[in-house]
Amino acid sequence: MSLFNFGDDPLTKTYDAIVVGSGATGGWAAKQLSEAGLKVALLEAGRAVTPAEFTEHTPAYQLKYRDHDPEIARTRPIQKQCYACMEYNYTWFVNDLENPYSTPADKPFTWQRLRVLGGRSLVWGRQSYRLSDNDFKAASRDGYDVDWPISYADLAPWYDIVEKYVGITGAAEGNEMLPDGQFLPPMKMSCGEILFRDRVKAKFGRTVTIGRAAVLTKAQNGRSACHYCGPCERGCRTFSYFSSPFTTVADAQNSGNCTVITNAVVAHVNMDNSANKATGVTFVDRLTREVKEVRGKTVILCAQALESTRILLNSSTKEYPNGLANSSGALGHYLMDHVTGGGAGGELPNMNEKPNANEPDRPNGIYIPRFRNSPSVKKSANFIRGYGYQGSGDAVFNFGAGGYGAVYKKAVKEGNYTIGVGAFGESLARWDNYIEIDKTLKDAWGIPALRISMTHGDNEKRLMEDAAAQGAEMLEAAGAINIKMQARTEMPGMAIHELGTARMGNDPKKSVLTPFNQTHDVKNLFMMDGASFVSSACQNPTLTMMALTVRGCAKLIDRFKTNDV
Amino acid sequence: MKRREMLRASVLGGAAAALTPALAGAKSGRAAGLQGAGDEKSELTPAQRGVDASKELNVANWKPVFLDEHQNETLIILSDLIIPATDTPGAKEALVNRYIDLVMAAETHENQKSFLGNLAYIDGESMRIYKNTFRYLSREDQDDLLHTMAYPMSGSTWTGEAAGADPGFTNFEQLKTHIGVAYYTSQIGMKELGRDDNFTHGVYQGCDHAEGSHK
Repeated sequence: MSLFNFGDDPLTKTYDAIVVGSGATGGWAAKQLSEAGLKVALLEAGRAVTPAEFTEHTPAYQLKYRDHDPEIARTRPIQKQCYACMEYNYTWFVNDLENPYSTPADKPFTWQRLRVLGGRSLVWGRQSYRLSDNDFKAASRDGYDVDWPISYADLAPWYDIVEKYVGITGAAEGNEMLPDGQFLPPMKMSCGEILFRDRVKAKFGRTVTIGRAAVLTKAQNGRSACHYCGPCERGCRTFSYFSSPFTTVADAQNSGNCTVITNAVVAHVNMDNSANKATGVTFVDRLTREVKEVRGKTVILCAQALESTRILLNSSTKEYPNGLANSSGALGHYLMDHVTGGGAGGELPNMNEKPNANEPDRPNGIYIPRFRNSPSVKKSANFIRGYGYQGSGDAVFNFGAGGYGAVYKKAVKEGNYTIGVGAFGESLARWDNYIEIDKTLKDAWGIPALRISMTHGDNEKRLMEDAAAQGAEMLEAAGAINIKMQARTEMPGMAIHELGTARMGNDPKKSVLTPFNQTHDVKNLFMMDGASFVSSACQNPTLTMMALTVRGCAKLIDRFKTNDV
Repeated sequence: MKRREMLRASVLGGAAAALTPALAGAKSGRAAGLQGAGDEKSELTPAQRGVDASKELNVANWKPVFLDEHQNETLIILSDLIIPATDTPGAKEALVNRYIDLVMAAETHENQKSFLGNLAYIDGESMRIYKNTFRYLSREDQDDLLHTMAYPMSGSTWTGEAAGADPGFTNFEQLKTHIGVAYYTSQIGMKELGRDDNFTHGVYQGCDHAEGSHK
């Protein structure tokens, strides 16, 4: 139905809502608002994608450099720190030469991002976990920082809506730290994983569950069940994993109320200063570099935490000299990214299974919900909050076998049965982890770039040390041998779970957003992405971002009904 | 229709059905003149454009672009010793030397230097012990030399740590890694691992053992 828009100039209209960013949350905002009858412009900085460019079934030997293309190192040295940036698909990721940012010399930060329709939802890890009141109300329990202004009960119905539509495979566990949700049938575990699960439960009373992933195990809404080819991050021609262009954005377009404007690199929000209202956004055409404006009754930033905040920092006015909607001064502060680098791996002896290149490839692993500082166990002595693990166990080819010749060739195929777990730990919200506008650096569109200042602190370091030790103990309990611990604290950004910089709260003096993701300062301006998080918890955040978006949009639709925008 | 064929049919059917909204989205922007003058097709990777580069190394008049003739010949011999033809083809048939030459030509100066250093180390040891470069040794001497590098302190290398410090072992393992990557990412190498080139093999079945008997 978007054909209806042919011939119209989309820039002469005033939309009910301008949504900036077409990823996991922008897609939801566009879908929900347009299906409610509102006229929506969905702006995306990159180009559109089609299933014709998916490469999930392309074997490595068809790549000229078999994933060692020198072009990636030249144009995407930062992006290639993400496992999903490969010779198959690297142009989905931003060109680092065109998209610079700075950091203090002693505070490296890796910022991995995509600019195409769907954004990072095209390559995301798909792990989808609810937060609980142990997270929303963590400050009340341990005294660190502040609670979220919402509780689990506020968000639970919105989690339900998102999960049913997105399609989350998983198993209910009744775990106190990890609420259950609306699950499609769980994927299976390997023998080693079941062994590990049972022995960890017996010895430690801890839960090991199959990963909860945004991958269909049953067909729904014209999307097929997963065919287990493996590399979701190169695209999925059956649309079995959730990515916004082929779900939420497609629905928005089919409503007839949504105009998708690609290649629109948003520079700033425009304001009617006398009315204290946003009037739209100015963008630079990515290809022609023409500067254009689109007008709307509301502006909703869904560009991911750092980009959305960058847009506001670049939208200062006389009334808001330190960034739009920043009367609190909190905009840009409390940047978080889950700490990674702690975990353990080993081998399970006496497993009969041999590796097999033709096995169905499960795009999911196992998950161990947080067990530290939970209500039912004693508080840990030397850190607050906790971590969860992702992992897997399977027979793998033994490329590291010793020697050479026929002996080596045989050993590779004999394989090993390996099992490992890696932690994602809570990143504490700290004022001195922040982003600001770099005074001299600009991106290829002339838009001032970010300066990112973030370090992981002592608490994060202790989480990773504990995760290494506990991981090793659990593997040992499962009978693993050759156990290796890793207790690193990875550089911030490596989890690709950037959160905060425009936290929500009830107090406009201390927070940027209301509990419904509206800015306290400007009534018709919203941020619906990870920027709004008060704390990072340790669960993969995209599911929560989507639930917050759907909740915020429902509130906004009500306000449109009563002309309160 | 076999299950796998059915699955593949549904894979392709699903794609066709869901293509429509995505393309419509691209069109609405383009019709509005917002797509700009650039050719977005050029932003696709070769793989996304459907380029199959697997035959490019297999040309009749192939010449190395990074390695010289001696280095190339040495690499062929080494690759054939490290991953020989057995009941399946080895590294030589998989044109491992050609792939390594291609990648090395595009590598950083540091990595190029390191790789040539690995090859030169072998020749150096060969001249020290056998008074000739590796390439001109008998197959038996080549094998003996590699053996001393692969198992530098026979009987005590199982920990990996003592051996790691041995320069012969280090150079050997680095070369082996290059050759292994080149072999196991080739079509021949993937077939060696059992890959049949079908992209899907049914639903992941996981463990089907009875409780308590997992292995």
